[in-house]
Amino acid sequence: MPGHRTKRSCALLLALALSALLTACGGSDDTSGGGGKVTLRYTWWGNPDRAARTDQAVALFEKRHPGIDVQTSFAGYDAYKQKLATQAAGGDAPDVMQLDYRMIDQYASGGVLLDLGERSAELSTAEIDKGLLATGRLGGTQYAIPMARGTEAVVYDAVRWKATGVPLPRAGWTWDEWADRVREVARVSGEPGSIDPGQSEDCFEVWLRGQGKSLYTPDGGLGFTADDLTRWWTFADGLRREGAVSPAEQTTQIDGSVENTPLGRGKAVSDFNWDAPSSGFQDLVGKGLTLAPMPVWQDGTPGQYFKPSMFIGAGANTSHPAEAARLIDFMVNDKEAAKILGATRGIPVNESIRRDVVPGLEGFDTTVAAYQSSVEGTLDAPPQAPPAGDSALQNTFTRDYDQVSFGRMSPREAAENYVTEAKAELR
Amino acid sequence: MTTTDIPVTPAREGRGTPPKKRGGRRREGAAWVFLSPWVLGASVLTLLPMAVSLYLSFTDYDMFDPPHWVGLRNYTQMFTEDPRYWRSVGSTLTYVVIAVPLQLAVALAVAVALKSMRRGKAFYRSAFYAPSLLGASMSIALVWRAIFNDGGTVDNLLGTGGWVNRPGWAMLAVALLTVWQFGAPMVIFLAGLQQIPGELYEAAAVDGASRRRQFLSITLPMLSPVVFFNLVLQTIQAFQVFTPAFAVSGGKGGPADSTLFYTLYLYDRGFVASHMGYASAMAWVLLLAIGAVTAVMFRTSRSWVFYADEEGR
Amino acid sequence: MTAVLPTGTTPPAGGSPAGARRSVHWPRVALHAGALAVLVVMLYPLAWLLATSLKPAKEVIASLDLLPSHLEWSNYTTALDGVNGVSVWQLLANSLLIAGGAVLGNVLSCSLAAYAFARLRFRFRGPLFAFMIATIMLPHHAVLIPQYIIFNQLGMVNTYWPLILPKFLATEAFFVFLIVQFMRGLPRELEEAARIDGCGPFRSFFQIILPLTRPALITTAIFTFIWTWNDFFTQLIYLFSPEKFTLTLALRSFVDASSQSAFGPMFAMSVIALLPIVLFFLAFQRFLVEGMASSGVKG
Repeated sequence: MPGHRTKRSCALLLALALSALLTACGGSDDTSGGGGKVTLRYTWWGNPDRAARTDQAVALFEKRHPGIDVQTSFAGYDAYKQKLATQAAGGDAPDVMQLDYRMIDQYASGGVLLDLGERSAELSTAEIDKGLLATGRLGGTQYAIPMARGTEAVVYDAVRWKATGVPLPRAGWTWDEWADRVREVARVSGEPGSIDPGQSEDCFEVWLRGQGKSLYTPDGGLGFTADDLTRWWTFADGLRREGAVSPAEQTTQIDGSVENTPLGRGKAVSDFNWDAPSSGFQDLVGKGLTLAPMPVWQDGTPGQYFKPSMFIGAGANTSHPAEAARLIDFMVNDKEAAKILGATRGIPVNESIRRDVVPGLEGFDTTVAAYQSSVEGTLDAPPQAPPAGDSALQNTFTRDYDQVSFGRMSPREAAENYVTEAKAELR
Repeated sequence: MTTTDIPVTPAREGRGTPPKKRGGRRREGAAWVFLSPWVLGASVLTLLPMAVSLYLSFTDYDMFDPPHWVGLRNYTQMFTEDPRYWRSVGSTLTYVVIAVPLQLAVALAVAVALKSMRRGKAFYRSAFYAPSLLGASMSIALVWRAIFNDGGTVDNLLGTGGWVNRPGWAMLAVALLTVWQFGAPMVIFLAGLQQIPGELYEAAAVDGASRRRQFLSITLPMLSPVVFFNLVLQTIQAFQVFTPAFAVSGGKGGPADSTLFYTLYLYDRGFVASHMGYASAMAWVLLLAIGAVTAVMFRTSRSWVFYADEEGR
Repeated sequence: MTAVLPTGTTPPAGGSPAGARRSVHWPRVALHAGALAVLVVMLYPLAWLLATSLKPAKEVIASLDLLPSHLEWSNYTTALDGVNGVSVWQLLANSLLIAGGAVLGNVLSCSLAAYAFARLRFRFRGPLFAFMIATIMLPHHAVLIPQYIIFNQLGMVNTYWPLILPKFLATEAFFVFLIVQFMRGLPRELEEAARIDGCGPFRSFFQIILPLTRPALITTAIFTFIWTWNDFFTQLIYLFSPEKFTLTLALRSFVDASSQSAFGPMFAMSVIALLPIVLFFLAFQRFLVEGMASSGVKG
């Protein structure tokens, strides 16, 4: 049935009608505190360490701007995503919010985000890499500013890898070389050489980009065919059958946390992960933990890229856009704030701040910084932020591959399935 | 709407005691006083959101853009174009059939055994309830995965291999989690057992009835309203099983979609994929399905549930 | 049957034969032995939880041994420091406030509604009862956003009202239905007798019915407390300011898949968050045993 368009005002039907009635007898709006002070709500995801540092930075901001009071709040990533979506749908998005690459398209096109381009008086973007900055843009409007960047890596336990005598991962290795070495590590050590990359949309993207293709076309369609995906899954499926990469029983437990990866459980010698989140492996793997660049295509084209690991944006409905922009500017560009924040949100994208921050880093952050500078200048510009359907498709990808690895579908069948679903999703 | 077809047993009140007119009217007024909080809550906080979700089920609402009317498209897509939807229906039904009878049987058996104990009642009651205190929290999910993984306690003891990471076995691990947390129905059974007047047993003992006989002819009939309650509610809750799935798959519904329960998939469609219209349609189909099952239960209950406030049975 | 029930004397539950009182009663011993054996298996995961809260980070997930290699008390000191500058005591107080308010609300409002459904006559009772049961059947995810909009319009987001107010309005049909079932287990003569003495529905409710449904009310109180305490989802959606956070919210903030998780402190916080509900259960479970049999009624 062709959709007949309802007016925006009947968006949520009775709810709004009734809620208007309720507002009449309801409490007052509490977004602005007493004494003429401006109150900003600022939310992000992260862990308690990031929270402690952020609060310290925010306290500094409040000291500099006595007229602004910032209420902060945070949650773990999954919880945060759900909470923010509910708030946004309820017309109650925070004034300033941290955003993920995958959220940008949806939040921007849904009218949740403020056009930050109009706030250049308060917010400078001069020192941010142009390619990265562009990922926060949609239809020419700057909706979000990248805060930090990350890139994918092969994460491995160098102690166990060396013990096999197989040559270590190196920059510029091809997917075939990767497969050969992983196979060899598995043969000698008796443990899978790597996790199964078949379940990972991220790995597939690197593989695809090496061939000059992409996950999505610039207009938000699917950038590859079922044939491409069939080849990728056949490649992974074959390695798994040989025992070179982890079996289905291990792969199916991967849930985004390092603890549930085969490497984290000591059931594989290497893994694929984003650089900064790999810090979680330290406690699990020990001092052998090492990062190596992702494999490249036969002709040497790298598929990996610097991805903005998180963005910061402002709510379109904020009553204080200027103050919100000022807070964003402070979080992204301020040198003293940067000193407090360090690399808690990843390696900063502001170039002069990155130069200041990197020498002072400690622990795993230095490993990440060194890894990033080792691939600096060799990578292509990041693709634009993925279309809204991507968050669903990421799960679909994993689920469809689960069917392959448990032997319930052939790579071809699963790939056809995926492409059908993706086309419906991106419609 | 089929929900209104549910035969309502309490509607048969007043049988044998026809109320006098004046008293009846006064009671009608009194009833609304008793009901007033419920009426307010049910209309504003329940009926209204339900109406909105029913409306949304006919739209393409994606949480960010205003909804557009799409007629029955969500429903036809669900039934004809979504194989994963049918997989979720299959795993949910399997789960309901395994978990509900098992959990209720364990809860009833433990409750009856506890009642007949003279010593240590409080200790056992608390100890058996302890697992239910946790709910299906994140920590219990991690514990469950550790115990039922390959190389975990269960694998070591029974040599079965991992449960949580193999299709087929994973369902059992989820069902066991539910059965393990049988505290809620157990406590309800216990409360029901306490309400049975002791004099009934005394009289039966005088008549020389065996314990088996007492159980069958006193305990079960007197407990039947509570058994019925537990059966209905546990079935409804089992159809909506959500959190225990996190214990096994971290909410993804794996391995190979074997624990992709209905509400888990609904959540996935609604909050991960932002197809809130589609998710709302799924919710209403579930409501109708549970409503039908519950209606059957209410209908059959007339033949086996005994209410003390009814006379002449 | 009369309205007066035996007072004080608890009859031999289950009616054990009189002869077997003195000597060792073997079936009884077997019962205890069996119960204890089942308990060992059942409580094993809890022992695991407790042991894990004392494990060093490396062993929390990776190790499949029950016992930690050494006791890592720092998990507890980290957890006791609280989260985001909010002390664990504040979190505890917040959780208690919400759970306490919810208990009060549910016991009061659900028993009122249940009495009407179980005992009083009013128009549309059948359809309304069916509607009430139907409200349990719709998955709550489907009504989350409309409900959020309502509370947002009422200016109640980031207050405890969305967590407590619905309980005072008997929105948890589970408990209404539960209490209805218990009230229907009471013989109608109880009130008939009272009515003859000139007792209206309000006095009947408070003086006769309510005391007799105490097991159901205690059950309602226990479940409400525990379920509200553990209800991560609603708390997450409606609470914004960290100083309003609860223990349940705080323990989840130790886990963030995108950065480094602190599973050790998370387990420690789980154990800390478990203590109040254990105490609540222990305090109230003993009232479960005092049902109709011991709380005599005098018309």
